[in-house]
Amino acid sequence: MADKTQTPDAISAYYQTRAAHHGVITSDWLAQAQAAVEQPDSSVFHDLGTEKPFNVIDEFNGWRKQPDLAEAVAAIRAMAAVIRASEATTMMELEIELKKASDTLKSWDKTSISLTAGCDLFIRYVTRTSALEYEDFNSAKSRLLERAEKFGEISCKARKIIAMLSQDFIFDGCTILVHGLSRVVLEVLKTAAQNNKLFRVLCTEGRPDGTGVLLSNELTKLDIPVKLLLDSAVAYSMDEVDMVFVGADGVVESGGIINMMGTYQIALVAHSMNKPVYVAAESYKFARLYPLDQKDMAPALRPIEFGVKIPAKVEVERSARDYTPPQYLTLLFTDLGVLSPSVVSDELIQLYL
Amino acid sequence: MWRRSASFILDERRRTSNSPPMADNNTTRAPFQNPDAISAYYQTRAAHHGVITSDWLAQAQAAVGGVSGEEYPDSSVAETGKEKTFNVIEEFNGWRKQPDLAEAVAAIRALAAVIRASEASTMMELEIELKKASDTLKSWDKTSISLTAGCDLFIRYVTRTSALEYEDFNSAKSRLLERAEKFGEISCKARKIIAMLSQDFIFDGCTILVHGLSRVVLEILKTAAQNNKLFRVLCTEGRPDGTGVLLSNELSKLDIPVKLLLDSAVAYSMDEVDMVFVGADGVVESGGIINMMGTYQIALVAHSMNKPVYVAAESYKFARLYPLDQKDMAPALRPIEFGVKIPEKVEVERSARDYTPPRYLTLLFTDLGVLSPSVVSDELIQLYL
Repeated sequence: MADKTQTPDAISAYYQTRAAHHGVITSDWLAQAQAAVEQPDSSVFHDLGTEKPFNVIDEFNGWRKQPDLAEAVAAIRAMAAVIRASEATTMMELEIELKKASDTLKSWDKTSISLTAGCDLFIRYVTRTSALEYEDFNSAKSRLLERAEKFGEISCKARKIIAMLSQDFIFDGCTILVHGLSRVVLEVLKTAAQNNKLFRVLCTEGRPDGTGVLLSNELTKLDIPVKLLLDSAVAYSMDEVDMVFVGADGVVESGGIINMMGTYQIALVAHSMNKPVYVAAESYKFARLYPLDQKDMAPALRPIEFGVKIPAKVEVERSARDYTPPQYLTLLFTDLGVLSPSVVSDELIQLYL
Repeated sequence: MWRRSASFILDERRRTSNSPPMADNNTTRAPFQNPDAISAYYQTRAAHHGVITSDWLAQAQAAVGGVSGEEYPDSSVAETGKEKTFNVIEEFNGWRKQPDLAEAVAAIRALAAVIRASEASTMMELEIELKKASDTLKSWDKTSISLTAGCDLFIRYVTRTSALEYEDFNSAKSRLLERAEKFGEISCKARKIIAMLSQDFIFDGCTILVHGLSRVVLEILKTAAQNNKLFRVLCTEGRPDGTGVLLSNELSKLDIPVKLLLDSAVAYSMDEVDMVFVGADGVVESGGIINMMGTYQIALVAHSMNKPVYVAAESYKFARLYPLDQKDMAPALRPIEFGVKIPEKVEVERSARDYTPPRYLTLLFTDLGVLSPSVVSDELIQLYL
């Protein structure tokens, strides 16, 4: 899998994972459990062998295949397992192991922003502790493990916190436009439906991933009225929309977001018609990036099928994501609270320094 | 609106009572009685999209395969039957199957054939026949704006002539026929005129974004390529018609570098675009246009990034409409395939077109000249009054 990251034209592994998840996401708990069980028990990999990087990637893959788990959370869990399985005898050695594991994970897929950000934040969170001053290494290590598990739990619960925070913004009779298939946004809508709010959702088709149909499947199970739109019909329908909800692949220093291709366009149209754009993003997606324009990011390409044969000389714009500047976003719902885009840089400073 | 005109209501009644003879055109009759059905205009476009090709031989075969469109004028001349409306529709269909011919031009040719085949002996009778034929054509597809506008303009152009004062009916009629043929020719040549006018706006090294598959825009790009201009084209995918791939086929035959974009990737790529070119289904009184779904979105994005949006539309597309918002038009729906099964309760936005307000458009290239959107209403007044 490490080979793919060396070719810039290759399919970003992050999007391969997302595609696999899209195929698996289902409200059927049984199917999810089966999918998780099919993976070898992660505890088996407490092999105190010499190939630690191999362990990390395997552990990571094991966690990653659960469709409900975000990729960064899988990475965090994998690194917690690294601490658990570590044979180091000094704190410095442990930190070096963690750093190596984190670098390995990050290089596994260079295009995934939340993975990179999640690993960085984990290391900072875990090592920023007074436990490092303990004379007894084992208690320091167990303290580290505690914090690692806690960080993993916070990240898991982030979605519930975000869903709770966003309930005040969804009112009865509102129309919500959703782009992309974000599990956080799905959680937000699920919670709203469970709180017996009446609203309807317009889903964009989400070419080429087909996120619109997948999301509409999920929403009809919750008895939420859904309407599918073509990507080009967003401006046509924007009049009847009350708010736009999107997830994020990453939140950047400017307060803007990087998300599935088309988000920038929708935010631009919504902004021109004075419709609020709400972003639901967990805090481990805050990244140390500052794109200056659309092309100023690591390219993440993916194949696009047009259904018919395309002439040989014709290029195709294959980027999977775009950058939405902060002036088009209204609010960000994170587990740190409801933030305006300008506050994001403050939060980032607190997180990273 | 013309839907409430007396002649149309008369025709509605006559048609519903005459349904058996019209049964030949089943696919064209049934759709517009059911508002949810597919607009016949878009069925035609879809058929044309399948046929459009630079291969002259294939085009000729397609035209011939449409039950010899050239034979129709003769048959209608020979036919002195009472069912003139039936003739008009058949004539129209014969012309319409040629992929290079715009629908309004086909209607204009059909109406010219009505004059030719008319047995009227007074001018008033001829005008009534023309009006009936025009109403029939318009009711054949209520959602096609250029068809309606084309018929209206034809009638006004043809009857606004001093020939009506001639004592001799036959010379008056031949004068009418002359004007009808001339109008047909102007409409045919409109594309060439527009292509010529737009050449100054395409400069070397520019990047053009195109949405939809407009034959006028294709003519513009062809002419620019023949004038040895170097430029490249970004085509939107154009779901669900797939216009992007079709256009890229045509353009790569002309050796123009093409890049295909998803509809959602327009804002992402707008930085490198120099201008946007679209066609139009109709130009409305405000100076805005009605065009394929997605045009409004692209114009909005382009406007916010200060990129010019150029519209290429023939003058017979100028219509007496004034939509106040997106939904204020006759609905034109079409089926959309998502490739996977959709749950039953899920609705789908099936409208085939949207309305782009004039403030997002920069210039309109028409055969009347290069107009700004605010000038359109002046031109409309000159055309219609």
